[in-house]
Amino acid sequence: MQSTAKREAPAARHTGAASSASEAARPLAGFTIVERAAGVAASYAGRMLAVMGATVIKLEPAGEGSDLRRAEPLLSDSPRVSALFQYLNAGKRFVTCDLHQGEGRRLLDELLLRSQLLLDDTPVAVRPALDLDPAAVARRHPELVYVSLLPFGAAGAHAHYKGYELNVLHSGGEGYLMPNGLTLERFPERPPLKIYGHFAEMIGGTSAVCAAVSALIARDAVGGQFVDVSSQDANVAVGCFAVQRLGDGVLENRHERSFKYGGVLECSDGYVGILTLEQRQWEGLVKLLGEPAWALDPAIKDPLERSRRGGEINRHLREWARTQRVDDLVHRGQALNVPLAKYNEPRDILEAEQTKARGLFAPVELAGLGSVPEFVAPFQLAGAVPPLAHAAKPAGADNAAIWGDWLGHDASRREQWKRDGII
Amino acid sequence: MASSDARGTAKGRGPLEGVRVADFTLHAAGPFCAHMLSLLGAQVIKIETAERPDIFRKPHPVYGRMGAASFDQVASNKLSVRLNLKQPRGVALAKRLVAVSEIVAESFRPGVMERLGLSYQSLRETKHDIVMVSISACGQTGPERGYAGYAPLFGAAGGLGTLTGYADGPPTEIRHVMDHSTGLTAAMAVLAAYLHKRRTGEGQHVDIAARDVACSFIGDAMLQFAATGTSPQRAGNDAPGLAPHNVYRCAGDDRWVSIVVANDSEWAAFARAADRPDWLADERFRTASERWRHRAALDAEITRWTRERTAEEIARRLQSAGVAAFPSYSAQDIAEDPHLAERGIITPLASAEGEQRKVVGAPWRFQRTPARIERWTPKLGEHNDHVFGDLLGLASNEIRELIEAKVIY
Repeated sequence: MQSTAKREAPAARHTGAASSASEAARPLAGFTIVERAAGVAASYAGRMLAVMGATVIKLEPAGEGSDLRRAEPLLSDSPRVSALFQYLNAGKRFVTCDLHQGEGRRLLDELLLRSQLLLDDTPVAVRPALDLDPAAVARRHPELVYVSLLPFGAAGAHAHYKGYELNVLHSGGEGYLMPNGLTLERFPERPPLKIYGHFAEMIGGTSAVCAAVSALIARDAVGGQFVDVSSQDANVAVGCFAVQRLGDGVLENRHERSFKYGGVLECSDGYVGILTLEQRQWEGLVKLLGEPAWALDPAIKDPLERSRRGGEINRHLREWARTQRVDDLVHRGQALNVPLAKYNEPRDILEAEQTKARGLFAPVELAGLGSVPEFVAPFQLAGAVPPLAHAAKPAGADNAAIWGDWLGHDASRREQWKRDGII
Repeated sequence: MASSDARGTAKGRGPLEGVRVADFTLHAAGPFCAHMLSLLGAQVIKIETAERPDIFRKPHPVYGRMGAASFDQVASNKLSVRLNLKQPRGVALAKRLVAVSEIVAESFRPGVMERLGLSYQSLRETKHDIVMVSISACGQTGPERGYAGYAPLFGAAGGLGTLTGYADGPPTEIRHVMDHSTGLTAAMAVLAAYLHKRRTGEGQHVDIAARDVACSFIGDAMLQFAATGTSPQRAGNDAPGLAPHNVYRCAGDDRWVSIVVANDSEWAAFARAADRPDWLADERFRTASERWRHRAALDAEITRWTRERTAEEIARRLQSAGVAAFPSYSAQDIAEDPHLAERGIITPLASAEGEQRKVVGAPWRFQRTPARIERWTPKLGEHNDHVFGDLLGLASNEIRELIEAKVIY
């Protein structure tokens, strides 16, 4: 049996109905994780670990804290308050510590003595100077799991490469393959298109959580260990079909990857997506179309023939879709087992009965904005979305609780550290 | 404890060694989840029937060609058995498999496992501490729980596809990466649930909706909308305030490089590395806000420079100067990249025909508990004898009779 985490950090209090959630919905309760994350990938990983119940202590540079606090999209222009940072950091504890000073590094060591996992995106070249060289950390903390998450990993010829979201997306192969379908038809000469936001980095973060939890599972048997996670590797993994097809003799590109028919359809009041991979789904679509003569042509009962005549089918589908209303189409189509979905705007998602029924958003208190619903987690454990402890807080908001109450450093010492720019 | 070879690669048991997964998943998202668990060392038994095999195993013509184009990579590393769940004896055998497993994974439409007599509640009666993960389009609850879907539709419903596209264009399909990111998220959640079981003895049911996963990738936009009433719109490759931030045409056919400059010092480094001091003197590009305002002109300038050079040369030169640049990798680039080979994410594997193929391996490098890909895609039912005989203890004549009765089918 896995031992429970020792000397647990002061956990965040959960608010409202969340407090009744079962412990199964917080499977990492009792683990203390130190997060040193300048980028989105590691911040997202920490966010997932926190919502699973771990006490995640985010270590930021003294002063204004992480640059992500001012990153787009914004909750407020002046001062710049980042919606991205708030989303990525809800539920964590916030301490500041300057690792460029010896006292700061000693403080981090103290924290790691009481933690089970370090999640770190410090560039490889910078680590030794901050006492974050993995071998040295392992000597000091043999039971600690050290998860390194970098754009291109901690080892290999590109380990020192710098990479932001756009670079990571293109390093993993999916960037080259975007867009397809209607977007590509309309703009075939434009450069490859990125996926919204920080998709590729969040894939890296999700992969890091898989590694972190796996290493915690193995910890009883092997103790701590270093785990090298690369956002590029994670994106290569989720894009694995392109590598498989290369082995089959097909080098995919965005111009040939499009589905031959279906895809994005413009309706009278928005967009739907439609995709019929199975014969019965096509037959359902024919019924949804009202069985027009062109769709009853015996030749296109054959799926290969449909592929060959995809352009013609699309012309019919697009003409028809423009006369339809999105919600009605989705409702009637799904009743006929036709896979289609509305291209939901944020407002649609927030107001959808499906969203409410699943409890996907929880209120958080944001300074100056009051109570705002925030997306909690992309998973439900033990029958519910896990509780969201609280909103992100200012840099160093938990300095007194962590450095003082938990680690036992008195107020005068903390004041001195503050004057010295250590915390 | 693991040892290391000359390359520093850990040898030893994966972190999930000794864990068995009864894998009822189909298509892409669910199988990818189970595949991740197999890379971590779990023994994953894929359960299918010849009556209705995984559609991704069957050739399908959506891309205009017939072939199982989407199967091998997520079925590799697994064991395969045939089991007809429409027969009561098939269901009984499935329960025996669950009884010797720690994790159950399924990706039927909500309600199907229940109709088969394999709901979480009934499997709990078979094994009280079972951890079960269900992966579906919209989840096990809510009015849309029965909705059918594939990757682009998950991206649509969850808003990710809506926000992806050009400012003057339609929303955009998110393809297999949407399936597989759902599978990766499911793996993350079920690992946590399994760890909880190890610590407490308590199993649970994990519910993953691809729609919710897509929404998690736009959590920042959702929060901005909820707080302010406005949200980001489709914006092509733009990232507000950042320029250069684009994909630039290079020498060669359909060759591109991604370049991102996040601050003034990176901009200065870029201009110096490109040997273009005139860019630094240009008033339009002097500050971040000016570069953003004049990004179309800036992109045109940069393209004039990049299209004379290869993407690889540009990436090397800019990275040496501390600027984030990387070629837009095709699958060929990925397969041939020494960095990825060194990390083991691209690795050779013998196919069923004995051909050495490059495949995508495990995306993690554990120092002591290595994750790895070891076996090619199994044939349907390839491991019937091992699983039903060695594992469940059925005699060979019993197995034969079950095959004749189309239970093992």
